[in-house]
Amino acid sequence: MLKVAIVGCGKIADAHASQIRRIEGCEIVGVCDREPLMAKQLFERFPVKQYFTDLTELVDKARPDVIHITTPAESHFDVARFCLEQSCHVYVEKPFTLYAEQAQHLVDLAQRKGVKLTVGHNDQFSHVARRMRALVQSGYLGGPPVHMESYYSYDLGDPSYARALLGDKRHWVRRLPGKLLQNVISHGIARIAEFLTGDSPHVIAHGFVSSLLKQINEREIVDELRVIISEEQGTTAYFTFSSQMRPSIHQLRIYGPKNGLVLDQDHEILIRLRGQKFKSYADMFIPPALFAKQHLGNLITNVRLFLGRDFHMDSGMNYLIESFYRSIREHAPLPIPYREILLTARIMDAIFDQLSTCRSNGQMALQARPVPPGTIVPGLES
Amino acid sequence: MNSLGASYVNDASGSVPRQVSTPEPQDSFLISPDDRILITGAAGFIGSRVVANLLDRGFRNLVCFARPSSELARIDAIVEGRPLGARIEVLKGNLLSREDCEAACKDVALIFHLAAGIGEKSFPDAFLNSVVTTRNVLDASLRCARLRRFVLVSSFAVYSNCQKPQGRLLDESCPIEEHPEIRGEAYCFAKIKQEQIVTEYGKSFGIPYVLVRPGSVYGLGKTEITGRVGIGTFGSYLHLGGSNTIPFTYVDNCAEAIVLAGLVKGVDGEAFNVVDDDLPSSHQFLRQYKKNAKHFKSIYVPHLISYAFCYLWERYSRWSEGQLPPVFNRKRWHAEWKKTRYSNEKLKARLGWTPKVPTAEGLRRYFEACRRDGRYA
Repeated sequence: MLKVAIVGCGKIADAHASQIRRIEGCEIVGVCDREPLMAKQLFERFPVKQYFTDLTELVDKARPDVIHITTPAESHFDVARFCLEQSCHVYVEKPFTLYAEQAQHLVDLAQRKGVKLTVGHNDQFSHVARRMRALVQSGYLGGPPVHMESYYSYDLGDPSYARALLGDKRHWVRRLPGKLLQNVISHGIARIAEFLTGDSPHVIAHGFVSSLLKQINEREIVDELRVIISEEQGTTAYFTFSSQMRPSIHQLRIYGPKNGLVLDQDHEILIRLRGQKFKSYADMFIPPALFAKQHLGNLITNVRLFLGRDFHMDSGMNYLIESFYRSIREHAPLPIPYREILLTARIMDAIFDQLSTCRSNGQMALQARPVPPGTIVPGLES
Repeated sequence: MNSLGASYVNDASGSVPRQVSTPEPQDSFLISPDDRILITGAAGFIGSRVVANLLDRGFRNLVCFARPSSELARIDAIVEGRPLGARIEVLKGNLLSREDCEAACKDVALIFHLAAGIGEKSFPDAFLNSVVTTRNVLDASLRCARLRRFVLVSSFAVYSNCQKPQGRLLDESCPIEEHPEIRGEAYCFAKIKQEQIVTEYGKSFGIPYVLVRPGSVYGLGKTEITGRVGIGTFGSYLHLGGSNTIPFTYVDNCAEAIVLAGLVKGVDGEAFNVVDDDLPSSHQFLRQYKKNAKHFKSIYVPHLISYAFCYLWERYSRWSEGQLPPVFNRKRWHAEWKKTRYSNEKLKARLGWTPKVPTAEGLRRYFEACRRDGRYA
């Protein structure tokens, strides 16, 4: 039986506890939060053995094998480092750390201690994301990706978070180096990082405060971001983060030398884009029919998953946690290679560096800068 | 307080004292007119009416606590046009900050705690913004030597509405939900835990407290129709209330009850339900709403069907391990859609409360405001 603990008992901890209890062969031996009431409420609502307010006490008394870190982002590094030093396997919610150097330090520490580490990029493990990965790995693109487009929208109308953030100048998200962007864009960046082949892509970032936020005198929160990523091997990518564009989308478009794919996370749709054209007017009649067939296929797949009780809102998180536990138990490869975690962290660092430089110069202009190469970037762990 | 917001004093501008033209409060009240009173959630729908009620009664030393994101229009509207002489301090802050709570509770004699996490779907968020905040206010209030009472504004949501001692009648003697975690409503869970922590502090530290549980509060500034009437979750509006009486209370009547719960002597440790007289049935309310505010299509769902639906949803949710969250379940059906009668006898007998705005007049004002503002449920 794998003994699991959760540190940080806020909103996302609920999702973790819900998914962990659906996984066989594990139990939640303890939850921990500096606020005793928060630790207690999680303890009361889930099958949890004990609750703690002190991390050291949790490790000493509950003796967990795996610790999920679901605290606010600014504490991820310190909590994860402590847990790794105690030889616990660690699952860190996104964003992994505040800086790429911290990410590198955690990866090095995990390897030195012989324990495993992962990050909560669960969007990459939804049913549709897994179907897409399988197609890419089967060679559907016809070679390495030529270009990718990752869209990540964010609705600032969400009352539980965005309004609290906008209305509170002391909100913890404002203390992050990348502020709102740091807390939300890693899902969209990680989607690109997964398919990049090099370790030091060039990053050009342009961020600005939307007119909507300016109207309410918000000058600090950058809620519109456009990024160009390119690497010497030839692959390029655009990343778009927007709070204003509608529809609000979460998509990845990936184009290879032969074919392309469109992943629509919101509707769990995967569309194959056929590279070859039909002749003459056939190209205007046959592809729409083929697209219709693909959409019907997506509908059937989604209905089948729902009827099979396998279409939970957090199914990506469930799959990621289960894969992480399997990699611990069976010494299987990690669900997210360390290279991908580090590359995501470095791209995010480059974006926030550029935005802060532009802000300090009193402008939001384009500025090109290469990602500083990492010292060691381990490949896929086996 | 770090984020002291629009702090202002509605006071005499010169050194010459201005004549106070506010009415003098009754001698029988727990506190005197110059005692400091804290109102959390003061910029909110009910909180702003509590502020107005206190000013109307001649209390002239108020601390209005509001979230950093709150708009102060409601408080501004109350302050404007009032006779000079009352000191109204507006503090913008976060009750999750102990420093903010300390600042807010300084020297207060009476606390009306209305701030809560409303509309939160997540249990931890609702808990954090209702229970942890309440604990912080209680802790800060422990340092107030002058505190005479802590009034918690709770909700009807805390009642299980099962195994009532008097059949269909729901009053203050009815049982509280024992397992709020399985009712699927974060708000209900948070409110019950909020009451528990106030009761615990009352027992452990001797904080004198009163619990006020309003029914469905309506009035100008609130557009949504209570879920006790129906829900619009599935595209069409499903009318679930049928012939049930809806426990309405007009916002000004509710504020009056809250204020009296803080002022009247000899009610420490008590709970009071707040509902108006002459309550309409769900059918009657919906018919009037469609006629006087806005017409829309609704589908009536008989109680037997809504109960079966809740039962099946609950079973499916469990079977599918939460693929559909347990938002509909039998506990919720009992609490919101079971035929129930309501009593305000205790409120009248112990606090001397009477609904100043009759239900017919309250509904008329409400519908007129909906029509005028073009804001509908």
